[in-house]
Amino acid sequence: MQTLFEKSVAGKRGVTVAPPEVETYSFDESLLRTELDLPELAEVDTVRHYTALSKRAFGVDDGFYPLGSCTMKYNPKLNEEIAALPGFAQAHPLTRADKVQGSLAVIDTLNAYLAGITGMDAVTLQPCAGAHGEYTGLLVIDRYHKSRGDFKRTKVLVPDSAHGTNPASAAMAGFEVVSVKSDGDKGVDIEELKKAVGEDTAALMLTNPTTLGLFEKNILEIADIVHAAGGLMYYDGANLNAVMGVVRPGDMGFDVVHLNLHKTFSTPHGGGGPGSGPVGVKRALKPFLPTPAVVSTEKGLRYEKGKQSIGKVSAFYGNFGVYVKALAYIVTLGGKGLRASAETAVLNANYLRARINEFYPVGEQRYCMHEFVLSMKKLKDETGVTALDVAKALIDRGIHPPTMYFPLIVEEALMFEPTETESKENLDRAADALREIIQEAYTAPEKLHTSPHNAPVRRPDEVAAARNPVLRA
Amino acid sequence: MKQYTKTHEWVEVASDGTAYVGISKFAADELGEIVFVDLPEEGQKVAAGESFCEIESVKAVAEVNSPVSGTICKVNDALADSPELLSGGGEWICAVTLSEPVGELMDEAAYEASLN
Amino acid sequence: MSDYLSITPAEREAMLGKIGVGDVSELYADIPATLLKKKVKLSEGRSQQETFRAMKALAARNKNYDSVFLGAGSYNHYIPSVVKSLASREEFLTAYTPYQAEMSQGILQSVFEYQTMICRLTGMDVANASHYSGATAAAEACIMCADKTPKVVTFDNVNPDTLDTLGTYLSARKIELIVLPAKGGLATELPESVGKAGAVYLESPNYYGLIENVSAVAESGKAHGAAVILGCNPLSLALFKTPRELGADVAVGDGQPFGMPLSFGGPYLGYIAVTKDRMRKLPGRIVGETTDADGRRAYVLTLQAREQHIRRERATSNICSNQAHCALTAAIYLAAMGPQGLKDVATVCASNAHYLASKLESVGAKRFYNGEFFHEFVTVTPFKAADILRALDARGILGGLALDEHRILWCCTEMNTKEDMDAVVETVEATYANFV
Repeated sequence: MQTLFEKSVAGKRGVTVAPPEVETYSFDESLLRTELDLPELAEVDTVRHYTALSKRAFGVDDGFYPLGSCTMKYNPKLNEEIAALPGFAQAHPLTRADKVQGSLAVIDTLNAYLAGITGMDAVTLQPCAGAHGEYTGLLVIDRYHKSRGDFKRTKVLVPDSAHGTNPASAAMAGFEVVSVKSDGDKGVDIEELKKAVGEDTAALMLTNPTTLGLFEKNILEIADIVHAAGGLMYYDGANLNAVMGVVRPGDMGFDVVHLNLHKTFSTPHGGGGPGSGPVGVKRALKPFLPTPAVVSTEKGLRYEKGKQSIGKVSAFYGNFGVYVKALAYIVTLGGKGLRASAETAVLNANYLRARINEFYPVGEQRYCMHEFVLSMKKLKDETGVTALDVAKALIDRGIHPPTMYFPLIVEEALMFEPTETESKENLDRAADALREIIQEAYTAPEKLHTSPHNAPVRRPDEVAAARNPVLRA
Repeated sequence: MKQYTKTHEWVEVASDGTAYVGISKFAADELGEIVFVDLPEEGQKVAAGESFCEIESVKAVAEVNSPVSGTICKVNDALADSPELLSGGGEWICAVTLSEPVGELMDEAAYEASLN
Repeated sequence: MSDYLSITPAEREAMLGKIGVGDVSELYADIPATLLKKKVKLSEGRSQQETFRAMKALAARNKNYDSVFLGAGSYNHYIPSVVKSLASREEFLTAYTPYQAEMSQGILQSVFEYQTMICRLTGMDVANASHYSGATAAAEACIMCADKTPKVVTFDNVNPDTLDTLGTYLSARKIELIVLPAKGGLATELPESVGKAGAVYLESPNYYGLIENVSAVAESGKAHGAAVILGCNPLSLALFKTPRELGADVAVGDGQPFGMPLSFGGPYLGYIAVTKDRMRKLPGRIVGETTDADGRRAYVLTLQAREQHIRRERATSNICSNQAHCALTAAIYLAAMGPQGLKDVATVCASNAHYLASKLESVGAKRFYNGEFFHEFVTVTPFKAADILRALDARGILGGLALDEHRILWCCTEMNTKEDMDAVVETVEATYANFV
């Protein structure tokens, strides 16, 4: 398909702008650029271009999207309309607090809901994504230790099964990362953990349910070990969807959590963002949250600039237009609806897993949470068909592939997260598609090696893209 | 004669005493198709066992540890445009003027045996 | 209660049967009983109509203004209907990051085109797929450039949120941040005492709206070994020389003016563009062009070895989710406006601002700084800024930002009519009359 630049025709005009009502101001020529090489298109050309692009994209609204760890649930339309209400969309962030009580109430109310859901005492909405939340939470932890005169805590423990953002965020926050081996399906290796913790431990970062989609059974013991060493417990909320309304990270022993509103709380991911990554903390860490906080006063809601705060992690108050949608979602579902969603997410994952088990062994019979990891190693050993081949073959069947090759501790991993909003019919259809692909692996593997065959393009040459990068037209 | 490290680098000392450094074919195979070599600079000091260069494939990155100590005197610039040259395991990355003798490393047979 | 689920009770029973349990609670068998016993308070949900009513009531508690003269990092521009309409297409809105290239060509191409437009606006070679905001883009650009010499120099005339964010990010990485005082509102050459630095960060237009002598600062920065990072409101680049032409190595900023509503401060769009030599240090997603197995043009996420999912703690940044949908919005905006439309918008903004500044001057609100400006400027009055802003508020006008007791930072855009501007002038004049 042609690019905007190839479609450009010199002299075409898009949206017209009325000339100034006042005298047109001319800058000194020494300041001015000589050319502005942007595409020249009529409005209808722009419309056709982006409509064509949209037909070469695939969202949750198009079909099943079991991308593990990403919680691709349905994004309610109601929430879009609410975020676009002029009262919210046209509010300037620097307006005096008394004139934007609605926005501040959104922040205050959502903070309270999220604190309740996670079992934390205070929340900030400033982080713009999950990784940004991790970074913020770790800075808060660092500041907390230092405020107590404890300057030795320079290390963050991260299980080897963790998302890549965990170690990357810890490094960005100035910590040294210590990787802790996990014990396969059993989760964190307690003995390894005991060896790793010490006076220099700032925190342990953990995802629970784990990245294998299993609940960390020893969570209370793990928290005790870390706390006994003076470290804090950090909860990566990527997988909260399995347990919201069922158990709370705060009760599991976590001191800091981040959430991904674009996963768990239904805000659309927009093809890569914007997300929103609120951070919740226990009372002792509250003074260190980013500034400003929104507080309730006699005159109404106001900003407060905490003296011990880590400062700002982004402009203004984070992705307001995203988290207002999450608030609408929570208001609609209520605690009961959230719990029903979590339970259904777990039901759907276990059902799909049971269906797959009919024709491909899924491993031990322990129940999974909201997602499960399938190793395609057996298939690869027997047929040469890889996890990648299977993923690409799903594209030909109108299903978005699961997450591939993650977690790193499972060979040929495919991670399925169906979410609660999928119907039984869709799960059955996905299981049938997978059965068909696996049968094909034994009869005609060649076709799978070159799939997809029905997508807008076939497999792109990633090696060429990285060797000789073409990054702009 | 090439000598190998446990971390899959090799060193070969030329007749003029200059040590040529590269990675083994096994290391290259593990990485997959190599797309970029973050080459060191001439004059850079290297220490045995310490990283001096990174090699990237599409989905992985590997640090290259120097098998020897000394100062880099030559860099294989051909790798800038053709990183795939490393795939065979024979191509050198840089040459080092040794500051101390080559330590205890494996010969080819011992290295091959260590891979099994 | 609404819950957006799609399973009937009968299906639920059948599914539980297939799994081999009688109740969903059995699936939570791994959770310690002590945890399950803790009561989580669960509220009732609402119907969609009730939610809409409740949220609308909240929105109504924000005052909407007929005319806005407040900028300072968040700009009130006209958003053509075509932008909103196309950006809200569900295939874009409800997709995840384009990990599966074959299924995501539309999104990947839109990012590639966005990168291209940012490069062309800034004169740079490579742009990433977006960052969270202009503030975080500046912070990560500084970290990228100060990896060898951990010192960054900036000025107290950059956006305060950006400065605050720089402080947070750089101190965590143990990079020294030197904030030099501006002179007459403008950045200065670096004094000798600064020594060798990794980067210098300045903005033009700066926080006060003034256009900097970027070349001079850049040259002096380079003499200190620093990479030059220039923050720009990208709308100003419709008119002004590119950061590259002015000597910058890195261009950053916030793309909010390109089609994003004020939305109480976010989501906005951080952009970062660099010269080719920094390509492999650039944080965030980057889309590249390649070919597919049949030789057709195709787009992929590329140079991924920089990123956290591969390099983990050694990654150039931890960023994963970015502001892709905002980048899409900006690209659609730029395509819809075209070069002429964009120049026209920038010209109207600047013309309005210069008109308002001169009119305010004539009623006793003098410009505090000399020097050329784009669409923001600072006035100083003998009477209180708060009095002016209150009077404007009563007329449904959101005035500028009070910088202190007597100074106001004003912003004009194409949204402000002559009538609005004259109303501001009239109000200031009346306030002055009361004061005297």
